[in-house]
Amino acid sequence: MKIIYAFMRLSILWLASVLILGCSNIDRSRNVSNPNVSGKTLAEQVCSNCHGMTGESTSPMFPKLAGQQKDYLVAQLTDFKGHERSDSRGTTYMWGFTHLTNAQVDELAQYFSSQKPMLGRNSNELSRARGEEIFRHGLPDKGVVQCVACHGASGEGNGAFPRLAGQHANYVIEQIKVFQQTDQRPRGAPMKQVTHALSESDTTAVAQFLESMGAMH
Amino acid sequence: MKIISTRFHSGCLLIGVAMLTLLGMQSAQAVPSFANQTGQSCVACHAGGQYPELTPYGRMFKLTGYTMGERSNPLAAMVVASRTSTKNSDGSTLNGRAIVDFASVFLAGKVTDNIGGFAQYTQSFYDTQDTNNNWTGHFAADNFDLRYADRQIDAKSDVVWGLTLHNNPSVQDVWNSSPAWGYPYVSTTHGAFGALPAATLVEGALAQQVAGIGGYAFLNKSVYAEITSYQTAKGSTSFLSYGSKTGDSNHPLTLLDGNALYWRLAYTHEWGAQNMMVGAFGLNARTFPNDSATNMPVTDAGSTHFKDIGIDAQYQYLMSPHTFTGNFRAIHETINDASFTAYAAPASLNTLMVKGSYVYREKYGGSLVYKTVTGSADTSAYSFSALNVPDASMWTTELFWIPLQNVRLGIQYSWFTKYAGASSNYDGSGRNASDNATTYLYLWTAF
Repeated sequence: MKIIYAFMRLSILWLASVLILGCSNIDRSRNVSNPNVSGKTLAEQVCSNCHGMTGESTSPMFPKLAGQQKDYLVAQLTDFKGHERSDSRGTTYMWGFTHLTNAQVDELAQYFSSQKPMLGRNSNELSRARGEEIFRHGLPDKGVVQCVACHGASGEGNGAFPRLAGQHANYVIEQIKVFQQTDQRPRGAPMKQVTHALSESDTTAVAQFLESMGAMH
Repeated sequence: MKIISTRFHSGCLLIGVAMLTLLGMQSAQAVPSFANQTGQSCVACHAGGQYPELTPYGRMFKLTGYTMGERSNPLAAMVVASRTSTKNSDGSTLNGRAIVDFASVFLAGKVTDNIGGFAQYTQSFYDTQDTNNNWTGHFAADNFDLRYADRQIDAKSDVVWGLTLHNNPSVQDVWNSSPAWGYPYVSTTHGAFGALPAATLVEGALAQQVAGIGGYAFLNKSVYAEITSYQTAKGSTSFLSYGSKTGDSNHPLTLLDGNALYWRLAYTHEWGAQNMMVGAFGLNARTFPNDSATNMPVTDAGSTHFKDIGIDAQYQYLMSPHTFTGNFRAIHETINDASFTAYAAPASLNTLMVKGSYVYREKYGGSLVYKTVTGSADTSAYSFSALNVPDASMWTTELFWIPLQNVRLGIQYSWFTKYAGASSNYDGSGRNASDNATTYLYLWTAF
């Protein structure tokens, strides 16, 4: 017990000195408004809380960023920063990042885009078959364009078009609804036309197929 | 007519406060300090927006010393208006009256990249009655937690560690199965039967009475360990017990005999939209009795030794629009009172809390809670019981509405199936446990 109390007394002294000096380590800062904090540090200290250390988020509330297209990430971070992307999950969590510098945005995008691509997860086989059909061929009679045209044959994305392979199905469903029903993602306006005729069950089927397309490493 | 008139005025007061609050929110666009600092909505840190239940992100925000985000205005405030009604009146002049109950000021947020804090001071508007039966207010320290925290994280490991100075055992905890932040999140302050008739020491008896310095570590987002030592908050740390003084008849300061030790272990895991925690904690403390006439602590006649050991668990499902949280806590306490003041003989006490909450779209929610206390009979400690026991079982249901993220309107109904050891005539004077059913209507707002 004496050792514990001695430790506690030392701790008080140490805490007091730290309080007075207020020293900090920029490599472990969580200050999102300090331009001197690197994007990598912000990714580790702040973003990782929701998106995971390598961008492989656990909760489907938060999109996976692992191996995401860099241009797409830069565009989204820029839109969050300028409050131009206003879907509810974005405003709830991302609207605080208003002071990111262009260099930090670039570093953050570089950090997550260079991670191993998102992992996949198998789901309902029947649903996946329907999802794959829509993904590869679209629904010509309804005006739904095939996803592969922009997002690539493996759902890997291309520049401003995001990687979809391995993304949480719930997140994809949520975002398709945002495109269909709102104008909260102006940069994604073309998706309104692409998805407007997609039924709820087809939306789920596509999302589940996309989630199953992820990497299996 | 008088009843109708009183009810009408009570209703008008609550509606008036609600309207002023809503107008205030819209014109000032004020937000509490942490939301200011992070630029994020309350639901980022609070499960379903039900303050103070924390999400995994909110827990990490607290464990990293409230330092995420940018330094901003640290001032915030909270006001609670309420109306408490006891089925068979407890005799309080406030029974059935709508009142602005209490208001708090906060100094909260980031100080440096490693230091942050949360300091709350509260003005109670209906604290005590003077000789003319007029209510007087009281301003006092509320919860306080100042931290230094650091985080070493890379692809292989994630270590969060820190030191905390605080004034309430378990206020530093990040799970809502812990005593300080457990249910009820807001409750009647003047109803005689808003809670169980007895509680273990760790369940609030030392709140705003002590100063604790603790060290903690959170490893790989899975294992949490902490140890804290407490002393009476006096002298240089008296700001942590502000409002309580030795000898004060209404707010006497509890004096610890030496140091008290608190420990905490928890394991947590996240999968998909779900997360869980199982944990244990303990408190070992000795307190001096207060003289019943002078309220001064008696330090030369022995002290009361409390040994608390608890287990707790929490489950959360967080997937908008649905939020579900479940909490469990059980505490066993052994008591040895060498002064024979508070207890006539060695005693034991057990408490249990099980709670489930559901919130839809971060707006509409409800809770169902079951609490019990059981203990050994004692002729000194439980004079309210004809059987000299604390045993009670209490159910609470709550419905609430969150029209804005910093406004909550709720109603709680609590009823007892057993009180002071019996369901009927528990006091020997004919009062039944069912007479203690309490309805609590509240309007909570922070800005």
